Amino acid sequence: MPEHDELESLVAGWVLGALEPGEVAGVRAHVEACPICLDTALRLRRVVGALPLEVKDVIPPAALRERILAAAAASRGPMPALVLPKTRTKQYRPSARATNLAGRTRRWVPAYAAAASVVLSLVVGLVAGDVIGRQAPAPTAVVRSALVGHQGLASARANVIDLKNDGVALVDFSGLPQLDSGRVYEIWLITAGGRADPAGVFVPDTNGSKFVLVGRSLAGYAQMAVTTEVGPDGTLAPTQQPELYGSLV
Amino acid sequence: MQVGSEAAEGLADTDLVAQLAAGSQEALGQLYDRYGRLAYSVAYRVLGDSGRAEDVVQEAFLKMWNHASNFDARRGSLRTWLLTSVRNRSIDYLRGRGAHERQELELKPALAEVAPRSDPWREVSLSLERSAVREAMDNLPAEQRQAVELAYFAGYSHREIADMTRVPLSTVKGRMRLALEKLSSYLQGGGLIDA
Repeated sequence: MPEHDELESLVAGWVLGALEPGEVAGVRAHVEACPICLDTALRLRRVVGALPLEVKDVIPPAALRERILAAAAASRGPMPALVLPKTRTKQYRPSARATNLAGRTRRWVPAYAAAASVVLSLVVGLVAGDVIGRQAPAPTAVVRSALVGHQGLASARANVIDLKNDGVALVDFSGLPQLDSGRVYEIWLITAGGRADPAGVFVPDTNGSKFVLVGRSLAGYAQMAVTTEVGPDGTLAPTQQPELYGSLV
Repeated sequence: MQVGSEAAEGLADTDLVAQLAAGSQEALGQLYDRYGRLAYSVAYRVLGDSGRAEDVVQEAFLKMWNHASNFDARRGSLRTWLLTSVRNRSIDYLRGRGAHERQELELKPALAEVAPRSDPWREVSLSLERSAVREAMDNLPAEQRQAVELAYFAGYSHREIADMTRVPLSTVKGRMRLALEKLSSYLQGGGLIDA
């Protein structure tokens, strides 16, 4: 049984995940049909399941536990119930901003160059505060929340750092899919009553990451969410239900 | 509150998973306290980078949190499931591939249920188990240990390992098989896994 012998020789590689992509389907089908190879695969798979126990102990950062619990809370939180407009939403037009926004100044700042120095100084302040314990905001003035992706944005995550004393927030996005031409991601701040206020637009870097400064206070908002909207300025109201969102602490 | 926490501390993994499915954050915290350090150690071993290791551990725990109701103890222990998830995600990061490209190692459910129904680890403390696995690995010939480590902790294929170590592919296949068989005998002999 040359075929059996050949495939049996691949079982160890299969349970270790070490086969070439073209070999996997054939070995799997054989294992499921051959009692001898199935027995071998199940036995060796139990061994592979024990291999992680061999690693040397490394202590994780203390903040990781809190980060995971916060992300878990956000992922089970209810999707923001946004009221979507029945007609096409008007886009931001910088020249008409004052009237379009009805006196509401567009206070968000995407991460362009003008904001870069602000972001940098805030980050440096945070890091320096962590490292040398000086000039850091009071502990209660920095609150972290997490956004979790769902459906089409399932791979996306964001960590929100709310600098309450400064009335701004930093949002660190990762895992975002690339956008179609002419589209942007738009950030929304949502009240407990479901009103969505625009809080910024951005296009992720080629690796799906982006660091965004939201130049307004998060006070009074219950959730943050992200939708994709028409660029470059986004819209006044969301045109779709968000697939990346989380509760604000 | 104290009593509740102490009670949760002593719960079996399967009970904590049931609580997870019901939305208990306390259960998630207990499982993190139980396996978070080991999960992080596995991710760090593969990735060698603390930030990426944190991301992987967070993703694995969130996956457990969001899919707790799908966990089936007949197919293996929660710990094995969690650590395998951490290892696979770490390798995906390391090799720059998406989960859809990962090798399909799952068997049909009916066949996989042939696996032992009991948690093979419950009788022994974690530290003893880890010592035993390390000892078993230490007892392998260097070339067999290398083949297993390059495949499992670095995500290389048997062909890549053959190229790297400049030995025939058939030799790499043989080393992997011999290594796993020896580990199986050793761990079975110590009662750490079922025969």
